[in-house]
Amino acid sequence: MNILIIGNSAAGTAAIESIRKHDRQSSITQLSDEAQPLYSRCLLTYYLSGSIDREKLLYREEGFHKKMGVDLHTGPGFRVVDLNPAQRRVTCDNGRTFYYDKLLIATGASPKVPDNLPFDKGIFVLRHLADVEEIKQYLRDVGAKRAVVSGGGLVGIKSAAALNECGLHTTLAISSQQVLSQVLDYDAAQIIGRQLRENNIEILQPAGITEIISRDNRLKGVKTDQGRELDCDVLIVAKGVAPNVRLAKAAGIGVRRGIVIDSFMQTDHENIYAAGDVAEAFDMAIEDYTINALWTCAVQQGRIAGLNMAGKKTSYNDIISMNSFNVYDISIISFGVTSPKDESEYSVLTLNQAERNIYKKIVIDRDNHIKGIILLGKIASAGVLLSLIQRRVDVSVFKDELLSDKFNYGTLVKYGVEKE
Amino acid sequence: MKKVYCQIEKCLACRSCELACAAAHSESKDIVGALQEKEMPRSRVRVEFIDEKGTLQRVRAVAVQCRHCEEPLCEQACISGGIHRDEETGDIVVRLDKCVGCWSCIMVCPVGAIVKNENMHQALKCDFCPDLETPACIVACPTGALVYCEPEEMAKEQL
Ligand SMILES: Cc1cc2nc3c(=O)[nH]c(=O)nc-3n(C[C@H](O)[C@H](O)[C@H](O)COP(=O)(O)OP(=O)(O)OC[C@H]3O[C@@H](n4cnc5c(N)ncnc54)[C@H](O)[C@@H]3O)c2cc1C
Ligand code: SF4
Repeated sequence: MNILIIGNSAAGTAAIESIRKHDRQSSITQLSDEAQPLYSRCLLTYYLSGSIDREKLLYREEGFHKKMGVDLHTGPGFRVVDLNPAQRRVTCDNGRTFYYDKLLIATGASPKVPDNLPFDKGIFVLRHLADVEEIKQYLRDVGAKRAVVSGGGLVGIKSAAALNECGLHTTLAISSQQVLSQVLDYDAAQIIGRQLRENNIEILQPAGITEIISRDNRLKGVKTDQGRELDCDVLIVAKGVAPNVRLAKAAGIGVRRGIVIDSFMQTDHENIYAAGDVAEAFDMAIEDYTINALWTCAVQQGRIAGLNMAGKKTSYNDIISMNSFNVYDISIISFGVTSPKDESEYSVLTLNQAERNIYKKIVIDRDNHIKGIILLGKIASAGVLLSLIQRRVDVSVFKDELLSDKFNYGTLVKYGVEKE
Repeated sequence: MKKVYCQIEKCLACRSCELACAAAHSESKDIVGALQEKEMPRSRVRVEFIDEKGTLQRVRAVAVQCRHCEEPLCEQACISGGIHRDEETGDIVVRLDKCVGCWSCIMVCPVGAIVKNENMHQALKCDFCPDLETPACIVACPTGALVYCEPEEMAKEQL
Protein backbone atom coordinates (compact mmCIF):
# COMPACT_ATOMS: atom_id res chain seq x y z
CA MET A 1 0.00 0.00 0.00
CA ASN A 2 1.15 3.55 -0.73
CA ILE A 3 0.50 6.03 2.04
CA LEU A 4 0.94 9.72 1.35
CA ILE A 5 1.09 12.42 4.00
CA ILE A 6 0.97 16.13 3.27
CA GLY A 7 2.56 18.13 6.08
CA ASN A 8 5.60 17.43 8.23
CA SER A 9 4.57 18.62 11.67
CA ALA A 10 2.60 17.41 14.71
CA ALA A 11 -0.19 15.49 12.99
CA GLY A 12 1.90 14.04 10.17
CA THR A 13 4.59 12.81 12.55
CA ALA A 14 2.14 11.19 14.95
CA ALA A 15 0.52 9.41 12.01
CA ILE A 16 3.86 8.02 10.86
CA GLU A 17 4.66 6.72 14.31
CA SER A 18 1.35 4.99 14.76
CA ILE A 19 1.36 3.52 11.25
CA ARG A 20 4.81 2.06 11.80
CA LYS A 21 3.78 0.41 15.05
CA HIS A 22 1.54 -1.86 13.02
CA ASP A 23 2.74 -1.72 9.46
CA ARG A 24 6.37 -1.84 8.36
CA GLN A 25 5.44 -2.87 4.82
CA SER A 26 3.51 0.00 3.28
CA SER A 27 5.46 2.75 1.64
CA ILE A 28 5.07 6.16 3.26
CA THR A 29 5.77 9.33 1.32
CA GLN A 30 5.64 12.70 3.05
CA LEU A 31 5.54 16.12 1.40
CA SER A 32 6.13 19.49 3.00
CA ASP A 33 6.64 22.93 1.60
CA GLU A 34 8.77 23.84 4.61
CA ALA A 35 12.43 23.21 3.87
CA GLN A 36 13.30 22.87 7.55
CA PRO A 37 13.88 19.60 9.34
CA LEU A 38 11.04 18.44 11.60
CA TYR A 39 10.79 20.94 14.43
CA SER A 40 8.27 21.85 17.11
CA ARG A 41 6.27 24.91 16.22
CA CYS A 42 5.39 25.44 19.88
CA LEU A 43 9.02 26.16 20.69
CA LEU A 44 9.44 28.95 18.16
CA THR A 45 9.05 31.72 20.71
CA TYR A 46 11.61 30.05 22.97
CA TYR A 47 13.99 30.22 20.03
CA LEU A 48 13.03 33.83 19.34
CA SER A 49 13.87 34.84 22.89
CA GLY A 50 17.11 32.91 22.76
CA SER A 51 16.20 30.62 25.66
CA ILE A 52 16.81 27.59 23.45
CA ASP A 53 19.11 27.17 20.46
CA ARG A 54 18.10 26.03 17.00
CA GLU A 55 19.02 22.44 17.60
CA LYS A 56 16.63 22.17 20.51
CA LEU A 57 13.75 22.99 18.18
CA LEU A 58 14.05 19.57 16.60
CA TYR A 59 11.07 17.43 17.51
CA ARG A 60 12.62 14.08 16.66
CA GLU A 61 16.17 12.80 16.42
CA GLU A 62 18.05 13.24 13.21
CA GLY A 63 17.46 10.27 10.96
CA PHE A 64 13.89 9.84 12.19
CA HIS A 65 12.36 9.65 8.73
CA LYS A 66 14.93 7.17 7.54
CA LYS A 67 14.37 5.00 10.56
CA MET A 68 10.64 5.12 9.97
CA GLY A 69 11.12 4.29 6.31
CA VAL A 70 9.58 7.55 5.15
CA ASP A 71 10.36 9.03 1.77
CA LEU A 72 10.38 12.71 2.76
CA HIS A 73 10.38 15.54 0.23
CA THR A 74 10.63 19.06 1.58
CA GLY A 75 10.98 22.57 0.23
CA PRO A 76 8.82 25.10 -1.58
CA GLY A 77 8.79 22.93 -4.69
CA PHE A 78 6.94 20.23 -2.79
CA ARG A 79 4.01 22.41 -1.98
CA VAL A 80 1.02 20.34 -3.08
CA VAL A 81 -1.01 22.44 -5.48
CA ASP A 82 -3.49 19.90 -6.77
CA LEU A 83 -5.29 16.90 -5.37
CA ASN A 84 -7.20 14.58 -7.65
CA PRO A 85 -9.16 12.04 -5.59
CA ALA A 86 -10.50 10.19 -8.66
CA GLN A 87 -6.97 9.41 -9.81
CA ARG A 88 -5.58 9.26 -6.27
CA ARG A 89 -2.88 11.68 -7.25
CA VAL A 90 -1.35 14.89 -5.98
CA THR A 91 0.73 17.37 -7.92
CA CYS A 92 3.40 19.58 -6.42
CA ASP A 93 4.44 23.07 -7.35
CA ASN A 94 7.56 21.69 -9.04
CA GLY A 95 5.41 19.49 -11.25
CA ARG A 96 6.17 16.22 -9.46
CA THR A 97 3.21 13.91 -9.01
CA PHE A 98 2.63 11.26 -6.37
CA TYR A 99 0.01 8.50 -6.26
CA TYR A 100 -1.54 7.13 -3.10
CA ASP A 101 -3.82 4.42 -1.81
CA LYS A 102 -4.40 6.34 1.40
CA LEU A 103 -3.85 10.03 1.97
CA LEU A 104 -3.50 12.10 5.13
CA ILE A 105 -4.00 15.83 4.81
CA ALA A 106 -2.08 17.42 7.68
CA THR A 107 -1.53 20.84 6.15
CA GLY A 108 -2.14 22.72 9.38
CA ALA A 109 -3.09 26.37 9.50
CA SER A 110 -1.77 29.77 8.52
CA PRO A 111 -1.89 33.05 10.41
CA LYS A 112 -4.84 35.28 9.61
CA VAL A 113 -3.73 38.65 8.34
CA PRO A 114 -5.93 41.69 7.75
CA ASP A 115 -6.48 42.31 4.02
CA ASN A 116 -5.13 45.83 4.14
CA LEU A 117 -1.88 45.00 5.91
CA PRO A 118 0.97 46.60 3.94
CA PHE A 119 4.16 44.73 3.08
CA ASP A 120 6.44 47.12 4.91
CA LYS A 121 9.59 45.82 6.51
CA GLY A 122 9.18 45.17 10.19
CA ILE A 123 5.74 43.56 10.00
CA PHE A 124 5.70 39.85 10.67
CA VAL A 125 3.59 36.84 11.46
CA LEU A 126 5.02 34.05 13.57
CA ARG A 127 4.19 30.55 12.42
CA HIS A 128 7.18 29.00 10.71
CA LEU A 129 10.81 28.70 11.63
CA ALA A 130 11.58 30.86 8.60
CA ASP A 131 9.44 33.65 10.14
CA VAL A 132 11.46 33.56 13.34
CA GLU A 133 14.75 33.59 11.49
CA GLU A 134 13.55 36.68 9.65
CA ILE A 135 12.39 38.37 12.83
CA LYS A 136 15.66 37.65 14.61
CA GLN A 137 17.65 38.97 11.67
CA TYR A 138 15.52 42.10 11.48
CA LEU A 139 15.80 42.82 15.20
CA ARG A 140 19.57 42.67 14.84
CA ASP A 141 19.73 44.65 11.62
CA VAL A 142 17.72 47.62 12.81
CA GLY A 143 18.74 47.41 16.46
CA ALA A 144 15.08 47.17 17.36
CA LYS A 145 14.00 48.76 20.62
CA ARG A 146 10.22 48.74 20.58
CA ALA A 147 7.74 46.09 19.57
CA VAL A 148 4.00 45.83 19.23
CA VAL A 149 2.18 42.52 19.20
CA SER A 150 -1.36 42.51 17.93
CA GLY A 151 -3.48 39.73 19.41
CA GLY A 152 -3.94 38.42 22.95
CA GLY A 153 -4.09 34.70 22.20
CA LEU A 154 -1.46 32.12 23.06
CA VAL A 155 0.84 33.02 20.18
CA GLY A 156 0.46 36.75 20.86
CA ILE A 157 1.35 36.37 24.52
CA LYS A 158 4.22 34.00 23.88
CA SER A 159 5.58 36.37 21.22
CA ALA A 160 5.26 39.43 23.44
CA ALA A 161 7.04 37.67 26.31
CA ALA A 162 9.82 36.56 23.97
CA LEU A 163 10.36 40.05 22.53
CA ASN A 164 10.33 41.48 26.02
CA GLU A 165 12.97 38.92 26.98
CA CYS A 166 15.04 40.11 24.02
CA GLY A 167 15.09 43.50 25.71
CA LEU A 168 12.50 45.25 23.57
CA HIS A 169 9.90 47.52 25.06
CA THR A 170 6.81 45.50 24.20
CA THR A 171 3.18 46.47 23.89
CA LEU A 172 0.39 43.95 23.48
CA ALA A 173 -2.67 45.28 21.65
CA ILE A 174 -5.75 43.17 22.27
CA SER A 175 -9.03 43.69 20.49
CA SER A 176 -11.19 41.87 23.03
CA GLN A 177 -11.77 42.69 26.68
CA GLN A 178 -9.25 40.19 27.99
CA VAL A 179 -6.20 38.15 27.10
CA LEU A 180 -6.62 34.51 26.09
CA SER A 181 -10.36 34.82 25.58
CA GLN A 182 -10.47 31.42 23.86
CA VAL A 183 -8.87 29.67 26.80
CA LEU A 184 -9.54 31.50 30.06
CA ASP A 185 -12.46 33.21 31.70
CA TYR A 186 -12.39 36.87 32.68
CA ASP A 187 -11.10 36.38 36.24
CA ALA A 188 -8.23 34.13 35.25
CA ALA A 189 -7.34 36.47 32.41
CA GLN A 190 -7.12 39.37 34.88
CA ILE A 191 -4.38 37.53 36.76
CA ILE A 192 -2.47 36.86 33.56
CA GLY A 193 -2.88 40.46 32.43
CA ARG A 194 -1.45 41.67 35.71
CA GLN A 195 1.44 39.22 35.46
CA LEU A 196 2.28 40.52 31.99
CA ARG A 197 2.18 44.13 33.15
CA GLU A 198 4.32 43.37 36.18
CA ASN A 199 6.88 42.01 33.75
CA ASN A 200 6.87 45.26 31.79
CA ILE A 201 4.61 44.30 28.95
CA GLU A 202 2.22 47.10 28.28
CA ILE A 203 -1.30 45.98 27.46
CA LEU A 204 -3.76 48.03 25.44
CA GLN A 205 -7.30 46.71 25.52
CA PRO A 206 -9.60 46.76 23.82
CA ALA A 207 -7.43 48.13 21.06
CA GLY A 208 -7.27 47.30 17.39
CA ILE A 209 -4.50 48.52 15.13
CA THR A 210 -5.99 50.72 12.47
CA GLU A 211 -3.02 52.25 10.78
CA ILE A 212 0.60 51.43 10.00
CA ILE A 213 3.04 54.29 10.06
CA SER A 214 6.09 53.66 7.92
CA ARG A 215 8.93 55.50 6.28
CA ASP A 216 10.83 54.18 3.24
CA ASN A 217 8.76 51.02 3.44
CA ARG A 218 9.96 50.48 6.95
CA LEU A 219 7.70 50.27 9.96
CA LYS A 220 7.93 53.22 12.33
CA GLY A 221 4.81 52.90 14.40
CA VAL A 222 1.13 52.01 14.57
CA LYS A 223 -2.09 53.81 15.37
CA THR A 224 -4.81 52.17 17.43
CA ASP A 225 -8.55 52.66 17.14
CA GLN A 226 -8.38 54.57 20.40
CA GLY A 227 -6.34 57.15 18.55
CA ARG A 228 -3.07 56.26 20.26
CA GLU A 229 0.11 56.35 18.31
CA LEU A 230 2.87 53.95 19.26
CA ASP A 231 6.42 54.07 17.97
CA CYS A 232 7.75 50.65 17.12
CA ASP A 233 10.35 48.86 15.03
CA VAL A 234 8.52 45.58 14.76
CA LEU A 235 4.92 44.49 14.69
CA ILE A 236 3.91 40.88 15.09
CA VAL A 237 0.42 40.11 13.92
CA ALA A 238 -1.04 37.23 15.92
CA LYS A 239 -4.73 37.37 15.20
CA GLY A 240 -5.36 33.65 15.12
CA VAL A 241 -5.04 31.07 12.38
CA ALA A 242 -7.12 29.79 9.50
CA PRO A 243 -6.96 26.15 8.37
CA ASN A 244 -5.16 25.40 5.11
CA VAL A 245 -8.17 23.91 3.36
CA ARG A 246 -7.85 25.24 -0.17
CA LEU A 247 -6.43 22.03 -1.56
CA ALA A 248 -9.16 19.88 -0.03
CA LYS A 249 -11.92 22.26 -1.01
CA ALA A 250 -10.83 22.35 -4.64
CA ALA A 251 -10.75 18.55 -4.62
CA GLY A 252 -14.37 18.38 -3.50
CA ILE A 253 -13.65 17.08 -0.01
CA GLY A 254 -16.17 18.13 2.64
CA VAL A 255 -15.03 21.38 4.26
CA ARG A 256 -16.88 23.66 6.65
CA ARG A 257 -14.35 25.81 8.45
CA GLY A 258 -11.88 22.94 8.51
CA ILE A 259 -11.88 19.62 6.70
CA VAL A 260 -14.70 17.70 8.35
CA ILE A 261 -13.58 14.39 9.83
CA ASP A 262 -15.44 11.62 11.64
CA SER A 263 -14.32 9.76 14.75
CA PHE A 264 -11.88 7.74 12.61
CA MET A 265 -10.31 10.99 11.35
CA GLN A 266 -11.65 10.14 7.92
CA THR A 267 -13.03 12.74 5.54
CA ASP A 268 -16.08 12.17 3.38
CA HIS A 269 -13.75 10.42 0.91
CA GLU A 270 -13.07 6.87 1.90
CA ASN A 271 -9.29 6.78 1.62
CA ILE A 272 -8.60 10.37 2.59
CA TYR A 273 -7.95 11.32 6.20
CA ALA A 274 -7.24 14.67 7.84
CA ALA A 275 -5.81 15.65 11.22
CA GLY A 276 -4.53 18.62 13.17
CA ASP A 277 -5.07 22.34 12.69
CA VAL A 278 -6.66 21.75 9.29
CA ALA A 279 -9.35 19.41 10.60
CA GLU A 280 -12.74 20.02 12.11
CA ALA A 281 -13.78 17.22 14.42
CA PHE A 282 -16.42 16.52 17.04
CA ASP A 283 -15.37 17.98 20.38
CA MET A 284 -16.69 16.17 23.45
CA ALA A 285 -16.90 19.30 25.62
CA ILE A 286 -18.48 21.67 23.12
CA GLU A 287 -20.61 18.81 21.79
CA ASP A 288 -20.21 20.11 18.28
CA TYR A 289 -17.69 20.16 15.48
CA THR A 290 -14.78 22.52 15.90
CA ILE A 291 -11.11 23.04 15.10
CA ASN A 292 -8.81 22.65 18.07
CA ALA A 293 -5.67 24.27 16.71
CA LEU A 294 -3.35 22.80 19.32
CA TRP A 295 -0.27 20.64 19.16
CA THR A 296 -1.53 17.92 21.50
CA CYS A 297 -4.84 17.70 19.66
CA ALA A 298 -2.99 17.46 16.35
CA VAL A 299 -0.88 14.61 17.72
CA GLN A 300 -3.93 12.72 18.99
CA GLN A 301 -5.76 13.12 15.72
CA GLY A 302 -2.68 12.19 13.71
CA ARG A 303 -2.17 9.12 15.85
CA ILE A 304 -5.74 7.92 15.32
CA ALA A 305 -5.62 8.69 11.60
CA GLY A 306 -2.43 6.62 11.38
CA LEU A 307 -3.99 3.66 13.14
CA ASN A 308 -6.94 3.67 10.79
CA MET A 309 -4.74 4.07 7.73
CA ALA A 310 -2.74 1.07 8.91
CA GLY A 311 -5.97 -0.92 9.05
CA LYS A 312 -6.38 -0.83 12.84
CA LYS A 313 -9.90 0.53 12.91
CA THR A 314 -9.98 2.86 15.92
CA SER A 315 -12.56 5.46 16.76
CA TYR A 316 -11.72 8.37 19.03
CA ASN A 317 -14.47 10.32 20.69
CA ASP A 318 -12.47 12.15 23.33
CA ILE A 319 -11.29 15.22 21.45
CA ILE A 320 -11.22 18.25 23.74
CA SER A 321 -9.18 21.43 23.70
CA MET A 322 -6.22 21.33 26.09
CA ASN A 323 -3.66 23.99 26.80
CA SER A 324 -0.62 24.10 29.02
CA PHE A 325 1.71 27.07 29.14
CA ASN A 326 3.49 29.44 31.46
CA VAL A 327 3.21 33.18 31.65
CA TYR A 328 6.38 34.07 33.50
CA ASP A 329 6.11 32.25 36.85
CA ILE A 330 2.49 31.25 36.47
CA SER A 331 1.61 27.84 35.05
CA ILE A 332 -1.76 27.55 33.39
CA ILE A 333 -3.66 24.49 32.19
CA SER A 334 -7.13 24.58 30.74
CA PHE A 335 -9.53 22.12 29.17
CA GLY A 336 -12.77 22.37 27.27
CA VAL A 337 -15.50 24.92 27.95
CA THR A 338 -14.22 27.36 30.56
CA SER A 339 -16.73 30.19 30.10
CA PRO A 340 -20.07 28.63 29.19
CA LYS A 341 -22.52 31.06 27.64
CA ASP A 342 -25.27 30.19 30.09
CA GLU A 343 -23.67 29.40 33.44
CA SER A 344 -27.07 28.51 34.93
CA GLU A 345 -27.03 25.35 32.83
CA TYR A 346 -23.95 24.23 34.72
CA SER A 347 -22.64 23.94 38.20
CA VAL A 348 -19.48 26.02 38.37
CA LEU A 349 -16.89 25.56 41.09
CA THR A 350 -14.31 28.30 41.55
CA LEU A 351 -11.45 29.12 43.84
CA ASN A 352 -10.08 32.61 43.37
CA GLN A 353 -6.92 33.61 45.20
CA ALA A 354 -5.90 36.21 42.67
CA GLU A 355 -3.55 37.93 45.11
CA ARG A 356 -1.53 34.68 45.28
CA ASN A 357 -1.77 34.04 41.53
CA ILE A 358 -3.96 31.03 42.10
CA TYR A 359 -7.24 30.38 40.38
CA LYS A 360 -9.19 27.19 39.76
CA LYS A 361 -12.47 26.66 38.00
CA ILE A 362 -14.39 23.53 37.16
CA VAL A 363 -17.47 23.55 34.97
CA ILE A 364 -19.82 20.60 35.50
CA ASP A 365 -22.90 19.88 33.42
CA ARG A 366 -26.32 18.61 34.50
CA ASP A 367 -25.23 15.00 34.08
CA ASN A 368 -22.40 15.63 36.55
CA HIS A 369 -19.76 15.41 33.85
CA ILE A 370 -16.90 17.89 33.84
CA LYS A 371 -16.95 20.04 30.69
CA GLY A 372 -14.22 22.54 31.35
CA ILE A 373 -11.37 23.32 33.71
CA ILE A 374 -8.99 26.18 34.44
CA LEU A 375 -6.03 25.55 36.71
CA LEU A 376 -3.85 28.58 37.25
CA GLY A 377 -0.91 28.54 39.61
CA LYS A 378 -1.67 25.05 40.88
CA ILE A 379 -1.73 22.48 38.15
CA ALA A 380 -0.63 19.24 39.80
CA SER A 381 -3.90 17.35 39.42
CA ALA A 382 -4.56 18.37 35.82
CA GLY A 383 -4.12 14.98 34.18
CA VAL A 384 -6.20 13.23 36.83
CA LEU A 385 -9.02 15.69 36.17
CA LEU A 386 -8.66 15.26 32.42
CA SER A 387 -9.09 11.53 32.83
CA LEU A 388 -12.41 12.23 34.58
CA ILE A 389 -13.55 14.36 31.65
CA GLN A 390 -12.51 11.90 28.98
CA ARG A 391 -13.97 8.88 30.78
CA ARG A 392 -17.16 10.85 31.36
CA VAL A 393 -17.12 10.05 35.08
CA ASP A 394 -20.09 11.16 37.19
CA VAL A 395 -18.37 13.41 39.74
CA SER A 396 -21.37 14.17 41.97
CA VAL A 397 -20.10 12.14 44.92
CA PHE A 398 -16.72 13.84 45.20
CA LYS A 399 -17.53 17.21 43.66
CA ASP A 400 -16.60 18.97 46.89
CA GLU A 401 -13.05 17.68 46.70
CA LEU A 402 -12.26 18.65 43.11
CA LEU A 403 -10.86 22.09 43.91
CA SER A 404 -8.84 20.96 46.89
CA ASP A 405 -5.06 20.79 46.65
CA LYS A 406 -5.44 17.35 48.15
CA PHE A 407 -7.42 16.11 45.19
CA ASN A 408 -5.31 13.52 43.41
CA TYR A 409 -5.20 9.98 42.13
CA GLY A 410 -5.69 8.74 45.71
CA THR A 411 -9.07 10.50 45.75
CA LEU A 412 -10.13 8.44 42.75
CA VAL A 413 -9.08 5.27 44.53
CA LYS A 414 -11.09 6.35 47.55
CA TYR A 415 -14.24 6.71 45.49
CA GLY A 416 -13.66 3.58 43.48
CA VAL A 417 -13.08 5.39 40.19
CA GLU A 418 -9.65 3.77 40.12
CA LYS A 419 -9.23 0.30 41.51
CA GLU A 420 -5.44 0.09 41.88
CA MET B 1 8.49 -5.01 31.35
CA LYS B 2 8.92 -4.66 35.11
CA LYS B 3 7.00 -1.91 36.84
CA VAL B 4 6.54 -0.58 40.35
CA TYR B 5 3.27 -1.48 42.03
CA CYS B 6 1.81 -0.41 45.35
CA GLN B 7 -0.29 -2.87 47.35
CA ILE B 8 -2.60 -0.56 49.21
CA GLU B 9 -3.43 -2.94 52.03
CA LYS B 10 0.26 -3.06 53.00
CA CYS B 11 1.03 0.68 52.71
CA LEU B 12 1.48 2.40 56.07
CA ALA B 13 1.83 5.88 54.57
CA CYS B 14 5.24 6.13 56.25
CA ARG B 15 6.70 7.96 53.24
CA SER B 16 9.99 6.06 53.36
CA CYS B 17 9.72 5.72 49.59
CA GLU B 18 9.52 9.49 49.12
CA LEU B 19 12.65 10.09 51.15
CA ALA B 20 14.56 7.31 49.45
CA CYS B 21 13.52 8.55 46.03
CA ALA B 22 14.57 12.12 46.74
CA ALA B 23 17.89 10.91 48.10
CA ALA B 24 18.53 8.57 45.18
CA HIS B 25 17.99 11.47 42.79
CA SER B 26 20.21 13.91 44.69
CA GLU B 27 23.83 14.72 44.02
CA SER B 28 25.07 13.10 47.20
CA LYS B 29 22.72 10.09 47.04
CA ASP B 30 21.94 10.08 50.75
CA ILE B 31 19.28 11.83 52.76
CA VAL B 32 21.50 13.91 55.00
CA GLY B 33 23.62 15.13 52.13
CA ALA B 34 20.55 15.71 50.00
CA LEU B 35 19.05 18.04 52.59
CA GLN B 36 22.09 20.27 52.37
CA GLU B 37 22.06 20.63 48.63
CA LYS B 38 21.25 23.96 47.05
CA GLU B 39 18.32 22.58 45.20
CA MET B 40 16.21 20.28 47.32
CA PRO B 41 15.96 16.98 45.47
CA ARG B 42 12.37 16.07 44.75
CA SER B 43 10.76 12.73 45.15
CA ARG B 44 9.15 11.27 42.06
CA VAL B 45 6.88 9.08 44.10
CA ARG B 46 4.10 10.58 46.19
CA VAL B 47 2.17 8.95 48.98
CA GLU B 48 -1.45 9.90 48.46
CA PHE B 49 -4.02 9.42 51.17
CA ILE B 50 -7.10 7.49 50.27
CA ASP B 51 -8.77 7.96 53.63
CA GLU B 52 -7.63 10.86 55.74
CA LYS B 53 -6.24 10.13 59.16
CA GLY B 54 -9.00 9.51 61.63
CA THR B 55 -11.69 8.29 59.29
CA LEU B 56 -10.52 4.68 59.63
CA GLN B 57 -8.68 2.59 62.18
CA ARG B 58 -5.70 2.74 59.92
CA VAL B 59 -4.79 5.27 57.27
CA ARG B 60 -5.12 3.96 53.74
CA ALA B 61 -2.71 5.36 51.21
CA VAL B 62 -1.19 4.63 47.85
CA ALA B 63 2.27 5.45 46.58
CA VAL B 64 1.90 6.90 43.12
CA GLN B 65 4.61 7.04 40.51
CA CYS B 66 4.97 6.74 36.75
CA ARG B 67 3.32 3.64 35.29
CA HIS B 68 5.45 3.64 32.17
CA CYS B 69 2.23 3.33 30.19
CA GLU B 70 1.75 1.23 27.06
CA GLU B 71 0.31 4.28 25.31
CA PRO B 72 1.97 7.10 27.24
CA LEU B 73 -0.11 10.24 27.03
CA CYS B 74 2.84 12.28 28.28
CA GLU B 75 4.96 11.22 25.32
CA GLN B 76 2.15 12.10 22.94
CA ALA B 77 1.54 15.49 24.56
CA CYS B 78 5.17 16.56 24.89
CA ILE B 79 5.70 19.57 22.62
CA SER B 80 9.48 19.35 22.59
CA GLY B 81 9.82 15.66 21.75
CA GLY B 82 11.57 15.23 25.09
CA ILE B 83 9.60 12.25 26.39
CA HIS B 84 10.07 8.94 24.69
CA ARG B 85 10.33 5.20 25.18
CA ASP B 86 13.85 3.95 25.67
CA GLU B 87 14.35 1.36 22.98
CA GLU B 88 16.44 -0.95 25.11
CA THR B 89 14.59 -0.91 28.40
CA GLY B 90 11.11 0.03 27.27
CA ASP B 91 10.95 2.66 30.03
CA ILE B 92 9.39 6.04 29.40
CA VAL B 93 12.08 8.65 29.94
CA VAL B 94 12.25 12.44 30.03
CA ARG B 95 15.19 13.95 28.23
CA LEU B 96 16.03 16.87 30.45
CA ASP B 97 18.13 18.51 27.75
CA LYS B 98 14.99 18.83 25.62
CA CYS B 99 12.42 19.65 28.30
CA VAL B 100 11.31 23.29 28.36
CA GLY B 101 8.93 22.98 31.31
CA CYS B 102 5.69 23.66 29.46
CA TRP B 103 3.91 21.03 31.62
CA SER B 104 1.98 19.46 28.78
CA CYS B 105 2.89 16.14 30.43
CA ILE B 106 1.28 17.21 33.70
CA MET B 107 -1.75 18.23 31.65
CA VAL B 108 -2.35 14.65 30.51
CA CYS B 109 -0.77 12.15 32.92
CA PRO B 110 -3.77 10.28 34.33
CA VAL B 111 -2.09 9.46 37.65
CA GLY B 112 -0.27 12.74 38.20
CA ALA B 113 3.16 11.14 38.05
CA ILE B 114 5.11 14.11 36.74
CA VAL B 115 6.82 16.30 39.30
CA LYS B 116 7.93 19.84 38.63
CA ASN B 117 11.46 20.88 39.18
CA GLU B 118 10.54 24.49 39.82
CA ASN B 119 13.99 25.94 39.57
CA MET B 120 15.05 24.41 36.34
CA HIS B 121 11.66 24.25 34.66
CA GLN B 122 12.03 20.60 33.94
CA ALA B 123 9.74 17.62 34.30
CA LEU B 124 10.83 14.84 36.63
CA LYS B 125 9.39 11.39 37.02
CA CYS B 126 10.17 7.84 38.06
CA ASP B 127 13.09 6.44 36.09
CA PHE B 128 13.38 3.14 37.99
CA CYS B 129 16.73 4.40 39.37
CA PRO B 130 18.91 3.36 36.43
CA ASP B 131 22.10 3.45 38.54
CA LEU B 132 20.75 1.05 41.14
CA GLU B 133 20.02 -2.63 40.96
CA THR B 134 16.58 -2.16 42.50
CA PRO B 135 14.68 1.13 42.58
CA ALA B 136 15.32 2.99 45.84
CA CYS B 137 11.66 3.10 46.86
CA ILE B 138 11.38 -0.69 46.71
CA VAL B 139 14.41 -1.11 48.95
CA ALA B 140 13.13 1.49 51.39
CA CYS B 141 9.58 0.21 51.78
CA PRO B 142 9.48 -1.47 55.20
CA THR B 143 6.32 -3.51 54.63
CA GLY B 144 6.89 -4.74 51.12
CA ALA B 145 3.91 -2.73 49.89
CA LEU B 146 5.95 -1.54 46.93
CA VAL B 147 7.00 -4.24 44.51
CA TYR B 148 8.99 -4.14 41.31
CA CYS B 149 7.86 -6.93 39.04
CA GLU B 150 6.32 -7.97 35.76
CA PRO B 151 2.60 -7.14 35.43
CA GLU B 152 1.79 -10.89 35.24
CA GLU B 153 3.42 -11.56 38.59
CA MET B 154 1.38 -8.75 40.09
CA ALA B 155 -1.80 -10.19 38.67
CA LYS B 156 -0.95 -13.60 40.19
CA GLU B 157 -0.28 -12.07 43.57
CA GLN B 158 -3.69 -10.45 43.62
CA LEU B 159 -5.52 -13.76 43.02
C1 LIG C 1 4.45 30.29 18.20
C2 LIG C 1 3.48 29.17 18.41
C3 LIG C 1 3.39 28.58 19.67
C4 LIG C 1 2.52 27.53 19.89
N1 LIG C 1 2.46 26.99 21.14
C5 LIG C 1 1.63 25.95 21.36
C6 LIG C 1 1.59 25.32 22.64
O1 LIG C 1 2.29 25.70 23.58
N2 LIG C 1 0.73 24.29 22.83
C7 LIG C 1 -0.07 23.84 21.83
O2 LIG C 1 -0.83 22.88 22.03
N3 LIG C 1 -0.05 24.40 20.60
C8 LIG C 1 0.78 25.44 20.35
N4 LIG C 1 0.81 26.00 19.09
C9 LIG C 1 -0.06 25.46 18.04
C10 LIG C 1 0.60 24.25 17.37
O3 LIG C 1 1.87 24.59 16.92
C11 LIG C 1 -0.26 23.72 16.22
O4 LIG C 1 -1.51 23.35 16.73
C12 LIG C 1 0.37 22.52 15.54
O5 LIG C 1 1.59 22.88 14.95
C13 LIG C 1 -0.54 21.92 14.48
O6 LIG C 1 0.11 20.88 13.83
P1 LIG C 1 -0.33 20.38 12.40
O7 LIG C 1 0.48 19.15 12.14
O8 LIG C 1 -1.80 20.26 12.32
O9 LIG C 1 0.02 21.54 11.36
P2 LIG C 1 1.20 22.57 11.20
O10 LIG C 1 2.10 22.56 12.36
O11 LIG C 1 0.60 23.85 10.79
O12 LIG C 1 2.03 21.97 9.99
C14 LIG C 1 1.52 21.85 8.71
C15 LIG C 1 2.67 21.74 7.73
O13 LIG C 1 2.18 21.47 6.43
C16 LIG C 1 2.79 22.35 5.51
N5 LIG C 1 1.87 22.55 4.39
C17 LIG C 1 0.72 23.26 4.38
N6 LIG C 1 0.13 23.21 3.16
C18 LIG C 1 0.93 22.42 2.40
C19 LIG C 1 0.86 22.00 1.04
N7 LIG C 1 -0.16 22.35 0.26
N8 LIG C 1 1.85 21.22 0.57
C20 LIG C 1 2.90 20.85 1.35
N9 LIG C 1 3.00 21.23 2.65
C21 LIG C 1 2.03 22.01 3.16
C22 LIG C 1 3.04 23.61 6.31
O14 LIG C 1 4.02 24.42 5.75
C23 LIG C 1 3.48 23.01 7.64
O15 LIG C 1 4.83 22.69 7.64
C24 LIG C 1 1.69 27.05 18.84
C25 LIG C 1 1.80 27.63 17.57
C26 LIG C 1 2.68 28.67 17.34
C27 LIG C 1 2.77 29.27 15.97
S1 SF4 D 1 4.27 10.01 33.29
FE1 SF4 D 1 2.10 9.44 33.43
S2 SF4 D 1 1.40 9.32 31.25
FE2 SF4 D 1 3.67 9.27 31.23
S3 SF4 D 1 4.16 7.08 31.19
FE3 SF4 D 1 4.19 7.75 33.37
S4 SF4 D 1 2.10 7.31 34.15
FE4 SF4 D 1 2.01 7.24 31.86
